[in-house]
Amino acid sequence: MISLWRIFWLEVVALVRSWTAPILVVASLGWMFAANFVLVTDATDEGKREMLVLYGLGGVFALLVVAVLASSTGAVASERESKRLQLTQVRPVSAFAVAWGKFLALAAVAASVLAFPCAALIVSSGFSERRCSHVYRPLLESPREEALKMYDAYMADPETSPMVKKAGRAVILRILEQRAKDHYQTVRTNETASWTFPGFHDWSHANPLVEPSARFRFSNAYNMRDEVRGAIAANGFFGAVSNITQTAVTVPLHLCQRGWDHDVLSFTNVGGNPVMLRPRQDVELLVPADSFAWNVFRSYVAMASILALMAAFGVFLGTALSRPVALFVAFVSLIVVEMGPSVAEQYPDSLETDAIDRFGLSVVRAVGACAKPPSALSPLPSLAADDCVEAKDALGAFAVDFVLAPIVLSILSALVMRRKT
Amino acid sequence: MEEPIVKLEKVSKTFRDFWLRPTVEAVDGLDLEVRRGEVFGLLGPNGSGKSTTIKMMLGLLAPSSGKISLFGLPPHAKAARAKLGYLPELSYLHPFLTARETLMYYAGLCNLPRRVARERTDQLLEMVKLSDVAARAVGGFSKGMARRVALASALIGKPELLVLDEPTSGLDPVSTKEVKTLVKALAKKGMTVLTTSHLLADSEDICDRVMILNHGKSAAEGKVSELGESLEEFFLAKVGSGDDFALADFLA
Repeated sequence: MISLWRIFWLEVVALVRSWTAPILVVASLGWMFAANFVLVTDATDEGKREMLVLYGLGGVFALLVVAVLASSTGAVASERESKRLQLTQVRPVSAFAVAWGKFLALAAVAASVLAFPCAALIVSSGFSERRCSHVYRPLLESPREEALKMYDAYMADPETSPMVKKAGRAVILRILEQRAKDHYQTVRTNETASWTFPGFHDWSHANPLVEPSARFRFSNAYNMRDEVRGAIAANGFFGAVSNITQTAVTVPLHLCQRGWDHDVLSFTNVGGNPVMLRPRQDVELLVPADSFAWNVFRSYVAMASILALMAAFGVFLGTALSRPVALFVAFVSLIVVEMGPSVAEQYPDSLETDAIDRFGLSVVRAVGACAKPPSALSPLPSLAADDCVEAKDALGAFAVDFVLAPIVLSILSALVMRRKT
Repeated sequence: MEEPIVKLEKVSKTFRDFWLRPTVEAVDGLDLEVRRGEVFGLLGPNGSGKSTTIKMMLGLLAPSSGKISLFGLPPHAKAARAKLGYLPELSYLHPFLTARETLMYYAGLCNLPRRVARERTDQLLEMVKLSDVAARAVGGFSKGMARRVALASALIGKPELLVLDEPTSGLDPVSTKEVKTLVKALAKKGMTVLTTSHLLADSEDICDRVMILNHGKSAAEGKVSELGESLEEFFLAKVGSGDDFALADFLA
């Protein structure tokens, strides 16, 4: 335990005395300050908050990702290359303690540096009185279930390409699953569409003084600038929709009458044109939660956890490879993890059926699947939209990204370290 | 008879390239024993396999074949390493740490409690005459001062076996004499010392027994007192005098 603490202490001292950590703190705070003047907003509080979170805090986070990868890949690699690692390895210290101590130091320094811009965001932006919202989506069958239902009709459809029909069932189901995720629902004039939100009725009875909101993202079928008009009803709550753009519409719901026993939210189109939306992504029920400051704190936990995972990954790469190679691999992996899933999702169906392209897609999907736990939670877009980063998600990210995955990576680092000696 | 502290049996080390083809046979079937309380010198010309042998003893390199034991344990065993002090050929210090912090760091790696670590740090800084500059970063130290810090950090865990790789490398004559005196004093107190050196006069002064390595094999082994001639003459007789060096022909 003493040796672990000493390895941790040495790495922290190295990061502080080499000016890495102080420079990052100054750069982070400087950018958060400059963002108030550099970023152009739509002059509303919401617009300013969105820009500050996405590009202010987001910029700092990107900077820290680069800094953490650069430092962590060198933590073991540069010590090995300078032969200082030998002096540690001849002491009664386990290789795991070396890897774990270095990881903890890098994670602690990254978390400390990130705390400054997060605190600056709360203090300087004046948003601390704002409330974030829990976000609920309607209960729908899973994309997989919908894909299975679509399969027979798709195969029987004469317009389906013969090349696609030759592909395996798994490939076709994957194509259909993607279509199901993007499935649009059309609501014509004077039509009503309904979606179920389980537990909404019980919640509204338990919280009679709290008024929820509904959020829609409409896509008009013919003209993006057509006005959308409609009425929303949800278990005794009502709201009116009226907008002239296709951006998200958040409608406060006011309690008008009691006694409905439904978990249903419905939208009636009273505009002149049909409207389209994707129920899985475009219909949300918002319930007021706690303050912006608490939301920043939970986002901070999630972001610090992601940085910790990067640190553990960097230490592992630096243990196995020389520093330049480790750094290169780290950044390539980061790019694949960030861009791979969207590339895979946007691939045309015909290419999905080509053997070579399918191999490339499989690799991208495999990398995406491996990186799923860390990237499953994206705190910045939620924070920017005032959506609540749920405590269980933040804790889950902490457990997986800060504890479990780094333990596994540190064990692997230790094995490689012993193997390399 | 007491078990030797260091024991190498038929140890070989072959370095290989990326395709696993052998490139260098650094050590070839070496047998070696270091007994408790002796000062053992491992001598040899450059490339004779001294450093490779020491690295294998310390568990920093795995032997290709043969068996190595340190205090009767495998070299990477924590219990064996707890009794070990190592001074590498170059000091390899962390430049941003002060002399005191460096010793406290290595004391921590030896799991010494903080109070004990402080006491030993003070004693060792006094011993290597660096108490006055204990709060200065070692990155600004001269080679000799850095060497003394490295020597002190090798001694911080009160090792039973001290492995010194070229201990007087980079030291001025006064410091060299001090190191030799220190090694003799440590040996008198019962510490086992294993040292390598190119400076045969130094080895002659401090070693009880030596082994001369040449091309990874033991060329000779014995007590210094029983050599019957100076260590230099003995050494040159075993590994070649160097008279056949072709520089003169080249220059002519």
